[in-house]
Amino acid sequence: MRTDTDLLIPVITLVGPPNSGKTTLFNLLSGKNYKTVNYPGSTVEYYTSHFLSKYNIKADLLDSPGIVSVVPESLDEKVSVDSLYSHPKLGVPDLLISTIDSCQLSRHLLLPKQLISSGFNVIIVLTMTDILAKRGLKVSESTISNALNCDVVIVNGRSKFGVEKLIEVINKNLIRAKESDKKNITHYNSLENKRDLVETFKEIEEIVNDAYEPIKTTEIINLNSANSELSILQDNHINNEFSPDKLTLKIDSVLLHRFWGFLIFLIVMGLTFTSIFWLAKPLMNLVDKLFVSLNTLVIENFEPGWFTFLVSDGIISGTGSVLVFVPQILILFMILGLLEDSGYLARGAMLIDKPLSKIGLNGRSFVPMLSGFACAIPAIIAARTIPNRRERLLTIFIIPLMTCSARLPVFALLIAYLIPQEKPWVGGIILGGIYLFSVLISILVAAMINKFRKRIFNAEDSSSFILELPAYRIPKLSSVISHTYNSSKQYIFRAGPIILGFSLILWFLTFFPNINPEVLTEGFSTEQIQNLERADRLEHSYASDLGKFIQPFMTPIGMDWRIGVSLISAFAAREVFVSSLALTFKVTSEDDKQQSTLLNSLRNAKIEATGEKLFSVATSIGLIVFFIFALQCLSTVAVSRKETGGWKIPILQVFIFTSLAYFMTFITVNGLRFFGIQ
Amino acid sequence: MRTAAELNYREKGIISDIDSSHPSSKRIMEHGFTPGQTIELINKSTFNDPIAISIRGTLIAIRKSEADCIKLK
Repeated sequence: MRTDTDLLIPVITLVGPPNSGKTTLFNLLSGKNYKTVNYPGSTVEYYTSHFLSKYNIKADLLDSPGIVSVVPESLDEKVSVDSLYSHPKLGVPDLLISTIDSCQLSRHLLLPKQLISSGFNVIIVLTMTDILAKRGLKVSESTISNALNCDVVIVNGRSKFGVEKLIEVINKNLIRAKESDKKNITHYNSLENKRDLVETFKEIEEIVNDAYEPIKTTEIINLNSANSELSILQDNHINNEFSPDKLTLKIDSVLLHRFWGFLIFLIVMGLTFTSIFWLAKPLMNLVDKLFVSLNTLVIENFEPGWFTFLVSDGIISGTGSVLVFVPQILILFMILGLLEDSGYLARGAMLIDKPLSKIGLNGRSFVPMLSGFACAIPAIIAARTIPNRRERLLTIFIIPLMTCSARLPVFALLIAYLIPQEKPWVGGIILGGIYLFSVLISILVAAMINKFRKRIFNAEDSSSFILELPAYRIPKLSSVISHTYNSSKQYIFRAGPIILGFSLILWFLTFFPNINPEVLTEGFSTEQIQNLERADRLEHSYASDLGKFIQPFMTPIGMDWRIGVSLISAFAAREVFVSSLALTFKVTSEDDKQQSTLLNSLRNAKIEATGEKLFSVATSIGLIVFFIFALQCLSTVAVSRKETGGWKIPILQVFIFTSLAYFMTFITVNGLRFFGIQ
Repeated sequence: MRTAAELNYREKGIISDIDSSHPSSKRIMEHGFTPGQTIELINKSTFNDPIAISIRGTLIAIRKSEADCIKLK
């Protein structure tokens, strides 16, 4: 709760329909690049910020989820509307700033009209007047202001025109707000029946008819594109029935073409994925190299002792395994941001809605699922855009099956192990196959889970897909960057601490209790002694006790306790599997005369009891299969719990996906062996 | 009576009524589909569903099952 002094600071909330320029205004006023998405979710996170100091306004500034109306449809929508009326931390807002696309007055005025009826102090900000001007029209602020009895300001988000006027009006309204009584604010209820909604729209249409004015010819000449627009003006008598943006219609006749549309969609998606790998790879290698050299630096320059190893193997390697994925996540969200800001993602959602609806999902599930290929955490959060609860929960349910970037190093290692070195392209094909397979699996799982939806999700509200297709525009780089930044931040700050923490626990388990192992030192170099010490330490560590405990589960799938330990450690995050394998195998392999590569030590590893080769073709493929299915990411579990509002779904996810992983690995390994592939 | 779901490609229609028994009817109206408005079917998705309708100067993608409650004159 806020303290008394906090209560003196006024609260200003930005509201507005999706695509009304709300976030642009928020960024303009706060300078902080926070991007919000339209999410009627169970967890409502309003972005909060303060005004830039140059505006000299002392107030909390909130950015709310994009909504069309304040009459909630579902329980989830009710939560977001309720926290607009009274924010759980900041209370009732003193002032609302409602953004309106001036080309869409007749649709967008509904929201401020409802809010004014509720008793709020509202300032209307008209955006995108430059686009309106191209159509030969302008809006009269005073007409809207008089009709709705509130202040109206025109602001251009790109040229910053009108911001000073807005600041002035905010100050004026804040003084007025001090005197008014917030208790008069009541939830807007009168729109419950259809006639009221029709009446409200009629009133709005009357206002709109008066508000649009043609720009005089002299003014038009001042516009660069004067000639082409004059013709529009002539046949455009002022009414509220514009046709949508002409260029958009032209582009859509290709991108939403009944045949080409879907093909282009598939190509765009294909290019998106291939570019992640091509673009991210050099950066990931760079991050990797940086942390390896940091690690070596520490080991070489400090006395070997538990603290040195804590810093090098625990903290530095742990941080490295968090940061190595940042390039991939950055690039995927960058591309997603570009596609979203250009207006294409909404079309993608429309194109894929029908197939997804067959398995109980929604066109809106598409973007979250796509994000799942980078990292499940921002993906699960992005599922808030799905208004239907059942569809949202089902989307969250299958997101962990998307091949996230953390699985990539595991696959890369195992594929490199499996294929001959002179044919690297085979690896690319296998990797592509893994992605396709995981997509097919997630479709199957979604369809199956959908059959049990009543028991699992306990929600059965009517499915709906109504989505505005915004006019195409050139993406605004700053908003793409802020979107990318915030999604990556979600990964670093939510997943990061858990991955790092688990790496430290893992380090502890592999280091203790045998801190100072006694090994033969005669005739060995310092490096060899260190390796022998590490091997001995690990062999008598807590981790090996744990591994031996789960040995009975590992034998049926052709693996031993060392892989078992690595699989357990992969629950911190999947990529820890590789570093854990490295720790376990580099030091226990017989090839300790020289620093062997991880691949070589894997080739030489033997099952201790039988002396058979541990990483056979069958077990390696088995491991790939295991990683396709298993949910081994504590951060995902944590976010899933938060977003679904309970433990039921995350526990089911862990149980179903992990047992499925074990079962499928069992079948794969033993099936391959049955056909003579070892 | 025809509905918006039955419009042909690039065909216009004027809304006469919204079937309020449909669970999405309120949401549809909040997007600006009210009696008297002229709408036009702009695009159909590859699988014929959803469809893109122009209303009040913007494009809305909507499932056919929901467009079915938009009655035309």
